[in-house]
Amino acid sequence: MNIAPSAAKPSFSWQFVVTLLMYGFMYIPILILAFYSFNAERFSANWGGFSLRWYVSLLNDSRIQSALLDSLRVAFTAVAVSAVLGTMMAVGLAKYRFPGKGLYRGISYLPLIIPDIAIAVATLVFLVSIGLSLNIWTIIAAHIVFCLAYIAVVVSTRLTGLNPHLEEAALDLGATPLQAFMKVLLPELMPAIFSGCLLAFVLSMDDLLIASFTAGDGANTLPMEIFSRVKTGVKPDINALSVILILVSGFLAFLSEYIRFRSERRRFRQ
Amino acid sequence: MPPTNLRNSRLLHRASLGSATSRRHFLQFSAAALSGVALSNCARNLSNAGSSPASSPTNSTANKTLHIYTWANYTDDELLRGFQDRTGIQVVVDTFDSNETMLTKMQGGGGKAYSIIYPSDYMVEKMIADEMVAPLDQSRLQGTDRWLPQWQDPVYDPGNAHSMPVVWGTTGLIFDPGRVSDPIKGWDYIWQNVDQLSRRITLINDVREVMGATLKYLGYSLNSTKPAEIEAAYNELLKLKPAIASFITNGWEDQLASGDLTVSMAYSQDAIYLIEESPNLQYIVPETGSSLWTDTMVIPKTAPNVDAAYEWLNYMLDPENSAKMVERLKIATPNEAAFEKLPTNLQQDQNLFPSKAILAKSEGIAPVPQAITDLYERYWTQLTSS
Amino acid sequence: MAISSSTVEPPAPAHPGWQRHLTKLLQPFLLLAPSGLWLVMLLVVPTVLILELSLIPGFRLGQPAGGYGLGNYLQIFQIVYLQVVLRSLYFATGATIACLLLGFPVAYWIAIKAPKRWRNLLLVGFILPLWTSSLLRAYAWITILRPSGLLNSLLGAIGLPGQDWLYRSPAVLIGMAYSFLPYMVLILYASLEKLDRRLLEAAADLGATPQQAFWKITVPQTLPGIAAGGLLVFIASLGDFVVPDLLGPPSMTLSRLIYDQFLRFRNWGFGSSLSLILIFAVSVAIALLIKYGDRNAAQS
Repeated sequence: MNIAPSAAKPSFSWQFVVTLLMYGFMYIPILILAFYSFNAERFSANWGGFSLRWYVSLLNDSRIQSALLDSLRVAFTAVAVSAVLGTMMAVGLAKYRFPGKGLYRGISYLPLIIPDIAIAVATLVFLVSIGLSLNIWTIIAAHIVFCLAYIAVVVSTRLTGLNPHLEEAALDLGATPLQAFMKVLLPELMPAIFSGCLLAFVLSMDDLLIASFTAGDGANTLPMEIFSRVKTGVKPDINALSVILILVSGFLAFLSEYIRFRSERRRFRQ
Repeated sequence: MPPTNLRNSRLLHRASLGSATSRRHFLQFSAAALSGVALSNCARNLSNAGSSPASSPTNSTANKTLHIYTWANYTDDELLRGFQDRTGIQVVVDTFDSNETMLTKMQGGGGKAYSIIYPSDYMVEKMIADEMVAPLDQSRLQGTDRWLPQWQDPVYDPGNAHSMPVVWGTTGLIFDPGRVSDPIKGWDYIWQNVDQLSRRITLINDVREVMGATLKYLGYSLNSTKPAEIEAAYNELLKLKPAIASFITNGWEDQLASGDLTVSMAYSQDAIYLIEESPNLQYIVPETGSSLWTDTMVIPKTAPNVDAAYEWLNYMLDPENSAKMVERLKIATPNEAAFEKLPTNLQQDQNLFPSKAILAKSEGIAPVPQAITDLYERYWTQLTSS
Repeated sequence: MAISSSTVEPPAPAHPGWQRHLTKLLQPFLLLAPSGLWLVMLLVVPTVLILELSLIPGFRLGQPAGGYGLGNYLQIFQIVYLQVVLRSLYFATGATIACLLLGFPVAYWIAIKAPKRWRNLLLVGFILPLWTSSLLRAYAWITILRPSGLLNSLLGAIGLPGQDWLYRSPAVLIGMAYSFLPYMVLILYASLEKLDRRLLEAAADLGATPQQAFWKITVPQTLPGIAAGGLLVFIASLGDFVVPDLLGPPSMTLSRLIYDQFLRFRNWGFGSSLSLILIFAVSVAIALLIKYGDRNAAQS
């Protein structure tokens, strides 16, 4: 396909130049963080030579570790619960008609639309008004709300492209509804559930506002800890942390991309 | 209350009786909430928030940990490790950056884990009035007889009956003398140089500190309750707005040291901490006077681990330990016995222990009536919104 | 509840009829009730609660509540708070336009010009920064934009005057554009990828210049994507807290004001009304999109 005149010299189009600049724009702040994470000096204004001291101090920092642990605890629990609830919701919405379905669907989209701060304050008001003491479980409960919405949306899009007769066929062949769901529908939905979970996981790990408002009992997630450090003066060990985070998440991103690629190829073959 | 809600409110009222945290209540409430009648009592529940009695004693594993809610830079690993070596209790520290944030967390039910909190003087008084802190059992404390004069019978808590003073200091200005045109003596420098200082100063993120400093600059009391004076202070601050980069209590250090900021309003102990690393900086208490603050330790009524809290108080009261903490963290102690154990250079450090002349010009922030607090906060919100 | 399966009734069940029938009735309930309950309890009821609080003027946590009234909403109409609303809208609009202008060429290049097998990789590469803490990425801009920072060193090196952007509007716009550009590129890419290239071929055959083809074909065809991406960035930046808080001037935006009213001053009444104003603004944006999208669909 060589049609548009500019296609003959693709690498010098102005879009290419802008794209290159934008890649720079996306990565420069991260490179800066990475650069200063190796700075021996305490203040990032001066370069004091190469050093791994902030990585060492990160390894010895029990607060960061416990904050990371809290974050993982929240994200894993919320995503695990939401994976089940969100998938059930998506399947239910795709299969059945009932009065108020439009309203139900509309409400399920709300967490995607309402700004975090509004969700956060509303949840806090609710939790306080029922006299529930805040702790890590209240963060998880609040995170499930948006996690399940995101997972349901991703699963829903996959469901619309699915052959509805497969499950019917299984039922006709004598499978119980549960068997039909587990053996036929679920495997088909797995890639979508996985990418929905991944999205929900990332959002949960990055959430500052909802966690800040619903945290209590000493529960302290990583974004909360980072925010309080940014507010009280950052040491470069936070830079070191961000370098580690982007390496891990880069790995995860490519892993998910790989899984998606494979599942697509399999679907293509079928 | 609109009449339509009366029917529902009785139902809800029954649902919200009893222990505030019991699961049963939660389920009942949820049922009520789900049937769409949650509304009318919400406000009442919120009004009573924070005054509910302590929750049931937590499980036994919690006795091995002590949760502390304090300001940044008031503890370090050595302090916590020393406590653990001595008592076997592990300490978990959470920090807040303003008294108001801390109060909200406690009232909102998010502070039930904490057995020790560090409110400032005026907040102690408010929390005592709101019955949020437990009176201290003096018989369980050792070394409470050796305070520097101001803290023997402080106004905010007569007889130290509810609180133990732990850190005190002043509020002032920190800057690099090499980067300012004239030597800075007080607040007037900032107002006179608003144009050159565009986005080059930071102020503490605290209503009463900033409004109080401005009131002092205008020659009024730090604790003015006259609406006209408070409004005058607000108008002065509006003039300062173009110069302000940010309202932050901490976090200006890096940029002040590099010269990206010219002047920062700071608590003395944060300033001293930074000057240790960047000796070219200078801290002053404005000549018109400033606020003299005390941060204290209190045991909230909801404390799950009162025994560990008393252990912590005694640990912090220990002169030996207290003196070491002053040397490491550069925070001023009100403990006379600890003061005597300090090396002379620290005892004579004017930033750490300001002279009587400076102290005479300074005032502590005192609680004001609720209507005046509202007024302060309204002006502050307007100031930060404009 | 009357529930009917959307698919055709299957013939001759293998199970006893009544059992099959019961499961059929129970199934949708079992599938939909748990998440429905959760959403109602932690989203709908809380929103109704803040609606109530917003109607109690000056309601404060821990203080007796007064009667109902519109005081909180009237307070928003004071000049200072209107300024806050306008400032938030200004930042959100600016960030949306910036993301569109910066994001479109990127999405266009990846979707249309880049070699096909590299596209996924290029796209993942572009959105990869989203996977690291948004707080830290915003914080990194302080290091770049401060007067002695990287930006001014670079500008100085090529002989340009230094810029004093930190703690002013440009820093907020840069920070927001940076935070939300990947989302915009993602959505525009999805839209551009579906572009029917035969239309471009036809246009070229008929003698249209690339510019003409772009404005007459590419843009109209991707308008739904542009609108969706614009809406997403607008909503996200309107509710953004981190960027204005870290990089912005000491003047509040809506989300910072709400945060302060709730966590510091316990003026939950005023905070609730601000929060509802924010939700209202977002709803208006969505309503506009739907209306606009419908008209667009009607035209084509």
